Amino acid sequence: MALMFPCPQCGSRPFTEFWCGGELPDGGHGAAGDIEADYARVWLKRNVCGDQPERWFHHAGCRRWISLTRHTVTNLIHDVV
Amino acid sequence: MTSFEFEGRQIPIELGDSIATALYRSGVRTFSRSFKYHRPRGLYCGTGDCPNCSMTVEGEPAVRTCVTPATPGLEVHRSTGWPSADIDVFSALWWLRPFMPVGFYYKSMHKPAAVWPIAERFIRQLAGLGDVPLNQAPDDRERRYHHADVCVIGAGIAGLTAALVAADRDETVVVCDEGRVGSKIPPGALDSRITASLAQVRRDRRITLIEHGTAFGIYEGPLVPIVAADGLHLVLPKRVVVTTGAAERHGVFAGNDLPGVWLARGAAVAVGRHGLGLGNHAVVVMETEYALDNLASIQAAVRIDAVLAPSALAARIPTGLRVIVDGKVERALGRARLRAVEIRSPQGVERIGCDTLILAFGLVPRDNLVRQATAASVTVAVGGDVATPGLGLEAAIASGRAAGRGEPTPLEEPTLPAAPCAGFVCLCEDVSAADLDLAWAEGYQGTELLKRYSTATMGPCQGAMCHGHLRSFVAARSPVPILSVATTARPPARPVRLQDVAAGARYPLEWHTGLHERHLEMGGIMEWAGVWKRVERYGDVMEEYRAVRERVSIMDVSTLGKYHLAGRDATAFLERLYPCHVANLKPGRSRYALLLNEAGYVFDDGLVGRFGAEEYYLTFTSSGADAMESWLRDWAESWGHTVRLANQTGTLGAINVAGPRARDLLVKLSDDPVDSKTIPYGGLARITIAGVSCLLLRVGFVGELSFELHHPRLETVKLWDALLEAGRELGVRPHGLEALRLLRLEKGHLIVGQDTDFDSTPAKLGLEWAVKMEKSEFVGRTALLRLKDIEPNRILRAFTFPGNDVPLEGAQLLEGTDRVGYLTSSRYSPVLGYGVALAWVYRHRGTFPTTVEAIDGSGRTMVGTVAEAPFYDREGGRLRA
Repeated sequence: MALMFPCPQCGSRPFTEFWCGGELPDGGHGAAGDIEADYARVWLKRNVCGDQPERWFHHAGCRRWISLTRHTVTNLIHDVV
Repeated sequence: MTSFEFEGRQIPIELGDSIATALYRSGVRTFSRSFKYHRPRGLYCGTGDCPNCSMTVEGEPAVRTCVTPATPGLEVHRSTGWPSADIDVFSALWWLRPFMPVGFYYKSMHKPAAVWPIAERFIRQLAGLGDVPLNQAPDDRERRYHHADVCVIGAGIAGLTAALVAADRDETVVVCDEGRVGSKIPPGALDSRITASLAQVRRDRRITLIEHGTAFGIYEGPLVPIVAADGLHLVLPKRVVVTTGAAERHGVFAGNDLPGVWLARGAAVAVGRHGLGLGNHAVVVMETEYALDNLASIQAAVRIDAVLAPSALAARIPTGLRVIVDGKVERALGRARLRAVEIRSPQGVERIGCDTLILAFGLVPRDNLVRQATAASVTVAVGGDVATPGLGLEAAIASGRAAGRGEPTPLEEPTLPAAPCAGFVCLCEDVSAADLDLAWAEGYQGTELLKRYSTATMGPCQGAMCHGHLRSFVAARSPVPILSVATTARPPARPVRLQDVAAGARYPLEWHTGLHERHLEMGGIMEWAGVWKRVERYGDVMEEYRAVRERVSIMDVSTLGKYHLAGRDATAFLERLYPCHVANLKPGRSRYALLLNEAGYVFDDGLVGRFGAEEYYLTFTSSGADAMESWLRDWAESWGHTVRLANQTGTLGAINVAGPRARDLLVKLSDDPVDSKTIPYGGLARITIAGVSCLLLRVGFVGELSFELHHPRLETVKLWDALLEAGRELGVRPHGLEALRLLRLEKGHLIVGQDTDFDSTPAKLGLEWAVKMEKSEFVGRTALLRLKDIEPNRILRAFTFPGNDVPLEGAQLLEGTDRVGYLTSSRYSPVLGYGVALAWVYRHRGTFPTTVEAIDGSGRTMVGTVAEAPFYDREGGRLRA
């Protein structure tokens, strides 16, 4: 596998330069809520078959987080922020 | 005259020789013994598609010698056969074949059970294609990345044309071929065109040509890994062009594997390019128009006694040759070599004596790579023979052009050969048509099932020879199309060495602190700690330990995570991040802090130190040092806090000065006050020591008076040397990790990662004091609220073991015969005179066990009792001195 991520700071870089921060929960990362909502956000991953919003950390590059949408079947990437 | 060594003799090399052609010229006819029956196998395809010429070259088994250039000084021998491949006593196995049908090892020799291990040893000895070298160190191959626009696999005429067309469109191109370009092509018009195009390719700076480079897969991305002599090339193109050509179709009939049976293109290359004499009498099967070109060159080298051709082609066979119209090879006869063929034609059955049989049944595309390339991110164009087998020179150039432009070419569904009735279908794994018949009768009906049961198509050639035959075998027996589908194509398409795949993996990141050289000079024994190398010990661990407890000692702790955090929202940010209070921390003080993830589990710990209103210094464990940056940035971004973060892990060194006389040592080197009043336990101050400006943290991991000195890395050696020099009369000596582990264990301090698991909540670890639930918010708080009503099923507890011995870490804890936990840390404490340990214990019969029996890896059993940590200096007087 040789995914290339379009890093907004560094350009196109191999995915091995990034750490995966997992899927982005509803309402975004770090959203506070009651106990039930918090439990769902931490433990009940959607694990979609299709486009999934994710966070990746460019540890071997700019050391910034990027958000992107990755198709979990085809690994095609779009909406990089 | 240059030569290489082959089984004790020197084989002369002529220009352009492969190992196989040089051996053939020197009279070698049996190139290998087959996988199962030890049948003699000779040169067959000549194009690297079949396994017959596999030998051990320079200690490496299963090298396809027909595509490996002969170079002077090589050591080559045949991998199989005893006493030699020429006279192999195990060829008697052929006569024992009724006793070892397909899958025999699943069915026999299993009762009684003791028989199988013995039988297995014999089978493993007899079967196979050579010995894997176990003692050979892999060489230092490198890994190279090519970021090109186009990757062209296969440098035939279509591939070279595609590369040139793409380069003309100003695209960068990597083109590879598994041999020398053109070496598999007999002399002729095609050969001249290839030579001309090759010269053009070499001149073009936009094209990188990798000869002897084998592309073994097309992965998602796309990624095309190419194994070449100088290492692994990883090509990351925008699109891929596959022009791998076509192989001559394997002929399946009784005796089809005898030495002397050739595929037509291999034979034409052998005579046309290398001037080999094939034999004295030949029979040629000419079922395809494409191969007519080869007939002339073959005719020049060997007397052709008969040509078998379909009526449509018969008229185009050169005059003077005997043509048997619509003749079919019934079987080939001979034992060590071909002696005769039996031919069935409309006129009846005829036996013709001959020593060479040349087969041209047609072409099968080498489509393994194309069939792999199914990922959505891969754009593939195909050209030449792989798209349309046997399409001819001009058409191949045209299709190469189209592929070079990236025009999609539909892959033709390859025509299937006649269903095999007798003979070897799979040469690699010695699977005959009779074996397939039996497997079918046993219910393995379908290509995927037959493949797995008989292992046909699973050998080194990955079905290049037999895939079509397997499909036609099924198609002839079942009308259900799904049963005869092409089996899944997977990498590697060609045999590849593990050392090639692992190229570049021998260079792991190794981080050194600024004192690394000093440690080595002082005899430090280094150990891995994450990506860092740290000192385990310098000499006697007990001496190092005593220096800390009785005098003064220093340790390199530069690997700690060190961060400077400032900004408008710094306090608000940390208050929301940490489970402890931060806002009430006074400037010039620091505090122990746990780090919880959102699930409420402890994943790191460290200190929070405060310089001013919105300026902080944070430390983390060595193992968490790097990852912590992503954690801090993630939350700061998510909450929209204005903070600035500087990761100073690499730029700052840190030395811990510990022991009852630590202060005495600092006083000698500093004019700044370091008394307990100015810098109390938990204090944080900027002072100058030995001319080095340091950030001083009063900490207590080892349980003695201790000062961590954080300072610019460039001055770390200066500071280290000054401390050792000034401390000489105090009896200073450095200590390593092993002493540290004992020191901290006596204090009952846990190490995150060693004593914790991924799901360790503060409650389980007995660290609830470090979590302030009264705070309105911190990461993990909601999870802890949810968990607070759930009684933990296991907790971390301190244990003591009487006597001067202690169970090894990892020891299992028992109560009676029930397993009730395990040790995570254990050491004998010299200062206390008994063993101290941390252990996870499970709730057992409603309560946590207090007296346990520990059984460790060495089989010893010891009784331990639960205790309260810290074991040493419970009141903390020494710490706060």
